[in-house]
Amino acid sequence: MSITAETAKEHAKDPAVLCCRAEEGTVIQAANLEDPAIFDDLVDSGLLNLDGALTIEQVLGAKLTKTCDSLCPLTADVLEGIKEIEIPAPVKEEPKEEAPAIEELQAVVAPAVQNVPGGVLKIHIGEGKDIDIELPTGLGGGGAVVPALAPAKAEAAPTGIQEAEKPAEEKVVRSLTRKHYKITEVKRGPETKIEGTTLYIREGIEQECIDSQKLVLDLKIDVITPEQYHTYSETIMDVQPIACKEGESEVGSGVTRVLDGVIMMVTGTDANGVQIGEFGSSEGYLDENIMWSRPGAPEKGEIFIKTQVTVKEGTNMERPGPLAAHTATDHITQEIREVMKELDDSLVTDTETFDQVRRPGKKKVVIVKEIMGQGAMHDNLVLPVEPVGVLGAKPNVDLGNVPICVSPLEVLDGCIHALTCIGPASKEMSRHYWREPLVLEVLHDPDVDLCGVIFVGSPQINAEKFYVSKRVGMMVEMMDVDGAFVTTEGFGNNHIDFASHHEQIGMRGIPVVGMSFCAVQGALVVGNKYMTNMVDNNKSESGIENEVLACNTLCPEDAIRALAMLKNVMLGEDVAAAEKKWNPNVKSTNVELISNVTGKPVELVKNEQSLPMSQKRKEKYD
Amino acid sequence: MGNLQFLLRQHVGAPCEPVVKSGDKVKKGTLIAAPAGLGANIFSSVYGTVQDVAGDRIIIEPDKVQEEEFVPIQDGSHLDMVKEAGIVGMGGAGFPTGVKLGTDLNGGYILVNAVECEPGLYHNIRQIEDNIEMTLKGVKYCMEISNAAKAVFAIKAKNKKAVETLRKAVHDEDNIFIHLLPDIYPMGEERAVVREVLGKLLDPTQLPSAADSIVVNVETALRVAEAIDLKKPCFSKNLTVIGKLHGGNAPHVYMDVPVGTSVEELIERSGGIDGVYGEVIMGGPFTGHSTALDVPITKTTGGIIVTMEFPDLHGAPVGLLICACAGNEARMREVCTKMNGNVVSVGTCKNAFEMKNGTLKCQDPGNCPGQAQKCLQFKKDGAEYIIIGNCSDCSNTVMGSAPKMKLKVFHLTDHVMRTIGHPLYRRLTVSKQEAQLPNGK
Repeated sequence: MSITAETAKEHAKDPAVLCCRAEEGTVIQAANLEDPAIFDDLVDSGLLNLDGALTIEQVLGAKLTKTCDSLCPLTADVLEGIKEIEIPAPVKEEPKEEAPAIEELQAVVAPAVQNVPGGVLKIHIGEGKDIDIELPTGLGGGGAVVPALAPAKAEAAPTGIQEAEKPAEEKVVRSLTRKHYKITEVKRGPETKIEGTTLYIREGIEQECIDSQKLVLDLKIDVITPEQYHTYSETIMDVQPIACKEGESEVGSGVTRVLDGVIMMVTGTDANGVQIGEFGSSEGYLDENIMWSRPGAPEKGEIFIKTQVTVKEGTNMERPGPLAAHTATDHITQEIREVMKELDDSLVTDTETFDQVRRPGKKKVVIVKEIMGQGAMHDNLVLPVEPVGVLGAKPNVDLGNVPICVSPLEVLDGCIHALTCIGPASKEMSRHYWREPLVLEVLHDPDVDLCGVIFVGSPQINAEKFYVSKRVGMMVEMMDVDGAFVTTEGFGNNHIDFASHHEQIGMRGIPVVGMSFCAVQGALVVGNKYMTNMVDNNKSESGIENEVLACNTLCPEDAIRALAMLKNVMLGEDVAAAEKKWNPNVKSTNVELISNVTGKPVELVKNEQSLPMSQKRKEKYD
Repeated sequence: MGNLQFLLRQHVGAPCEPVVKSGDKVKKGTLIAAPAGLGANIFSSVYGTVQDVAGDRIIIEPDKVQEEEFVPIQDGSHLDMVKEAGIVGMGGAGFPTGVKLGTDLNGGYILVNAVECEPGLYHNIRQIEDNIEMTLKGVKYCMEISNAAKAVFAIKAKNKKAVETLRKAVHDEDNIFIHLLPDIYPMGEERAVVREVLGKLLDPTQLPSAADSIVVNVETALRVAEAIDLKKPCFSKNLTVIGKLHGGNAPHVYMDVPVGTSVEELIERSGGIDGVYGEVIMGGPFTGHSTALDVPITKTTGGIIVTMEFPDLHGAPVGLLICACAGNEARMREVCTKMNGNVVSVGTCKNAFEMKNGTLKCQDPGNCPGQAQKCLQFKKDGAEYIIIGNCSDCSNTVMGSAPKMKLKVFHLTDHVMRTIGHPLYRRLTVSKQEAQLPNGK
């Protein structure tokens, strides 16, 4: 569609193509030109060949010497009065070319850390499409840079330096201790108890689970040991840590007790055998459908206490159905929690402590996590009394999906009981929050000040999406942050509010980095001018929702990229536009560049190709 | 002659209030309904008896013998006579002319809309050819009433005979000129006329008065002259009947058809429908709507078109490109249904501006804002066919991308164009620029 003068200015260097027929003698204006935003699609459709096309800034004001039709690229032979514009050599991801500019950044950002001259690094990060980022190279990078430049530049930017060097007194707001109890065997017995490293689950508890929920018609418990991983299972609705609070501690602080080596797994169908899933489901052999070691997935070697819940026919796609399946399963978990509360400290095998550290004077950032709130299984229980429990929690759908502020430690302590089980590859299981990589990465980075985490539900209706999104904007505005992350799970419908969150935050002048599964299948359906900084969570080989549990969820490697990107954007660096098609090489290149700079290798997680091939994958995907 | 039906709403504004009752004898020119707010008087177009005053209409049974003589309107100022005569914009918009001409133009322009842009209609041009004298009088009255210094006839250059007639007529008129227009659709939209003649593109919310002008349809001007010179109330309409009729698809142009006459009667007078047909349209191919045979004509009816049958898409997925220059979404969907298509995607032209009342107006009539993105959308949504109602320029743009994307293009007017033997709206082959007459004469 024709563009405005403003758009023409933004796209001054892009090719000039007529949007409509223009007659001989027409003086080219912005309104004659097609929007460069759709060129990729037009080229893909074979509608457009941009060879020899002049740029928009060259053609504005030039006169057409021949009547040309729509989608005609403007070339020198049909125009007179072309503006001569010096075309600079294309600036690509050549770190050397960017080095001097970055020098300045370097001086601002990293002087306190180490007096090593750096270069700037352009990083290309994959999204639905791909993205370039520039990263200040802190440590020993940028051989091409003249060291002597650094101090001079540093002086030239005194404000920045002062900011960076402001004596930052770290402040521990609160702490959370996790006590780990090792479980090596799970058995059934007359009562639920833990003896040494053996967990017993009371025989017959199933009937109580069934009776506790009107919509639950049946519930089976299977204890899956590693030898039994090649067992058929209905779709996996959730993976949960088995944890409880100690004494008077509340979720997010004090002491949490957690069992190692065992997890709860909720699976189920409705009475007609329909999987409780929406876009795909992960039923099949467990070892073929679980992406091991994702934050939200089981670790290889863990024992699963797997419930197979049957809910009343037809309730799989209504809110009460999936909720009943979760609540029934929690009946078992709660009984284990009661037992855990009595455990002796002698059984503790490991203790870890998480400090919520505030770093005044550092760049203040917030993490906005969009969670699903469309209803049915797209719901989350927020802030239960016990980690990933049910009791005391409020479903975010009932809360109107409005944004809720939580501390990073509340996230890591199971404040979200996730009902979102689909599509399996991109949704965040309850366990994901327990090990949330972005929260961990940002919380532990000494260069930024993580002020908190905002959860915002993704409602079904667009009007409600914008309603909650505007609240996110206001909330982030009040926090006076320097930057924000927006993450989402799944793809499609939720991208509407995901985009709106970017807009609401971006329009307040706050740099924002988005994280989502996009790649091929999850390519963003909407966008706005604030969505320039994106990190793609895709891991799958083909860039698709492959129905392998947690395959495409946010992992440490994504958190590292996102944090690097936000740091750069907060320093005013531009992130290069995405490539026109998903290109997995962008991510690997960027990761390599980051590890070159930081000196720390970034280990990429495996994808579904490391799993035995399932029949479904063979037929549908690979 | 069958019963006549006078709709109480034949104009922009509120329906009129009936001032006659069942059993009343009426003459040609008897006031039968008066405005209850913004509106215009409605007069009987025949001698006869009121059969019924029901809901939205008054039904009159005509006498067997009809005289030419009519009940004259009251004498008064020229503006009052225009108001009294119940004249409304006869190009189709139906805005009360008495209100329109009440604007003081302070030496501005009366733009006479003789574009007759809807293909297949001929009565405006015929009027110029046959009755220029009275038409010109009307234009002068309009100038006088609204205090305009100049008048410009906007007419398509292709109407050579009418242009010649006009040239002769305005030759010795100091303040009346002719502006020639190219044969593309739409040129007759009010703001298009202002833009073409005065070079000023109005916002969709602006009236021509923002460019010191009033646009008056050529038939409206004629009715103004009739009201002032002949004291004749506005109760008749010029129109064209065309289409799949016995005797061929040549146009039947009727002058002074009594308002309230049924569509069926006019079709019968034109030979009757020839065999199976697609639909009957009241109005032009672009902006008209399907109608039933028993529907009466009003002061704004310009055309009655009987079309050939619709093609059958056998339920194929269809994208609709809605714009302001043709039928609205409901009309587009209606045609899609009649073609047995299944709407899978709806796009709206970037230039279609939604007015407060929900109707669409084009921001720059006849100048395309680009359509490639819409075609990409249709393709993405799985459409195999698209139905467009676009203007000449936009249709041309659609043709620049849709076929290459393997989208088969239908135009809303295709069934009419095929019926009347007019080229389909696809590629634009003529220039949008038209050479002007020396000094507009």
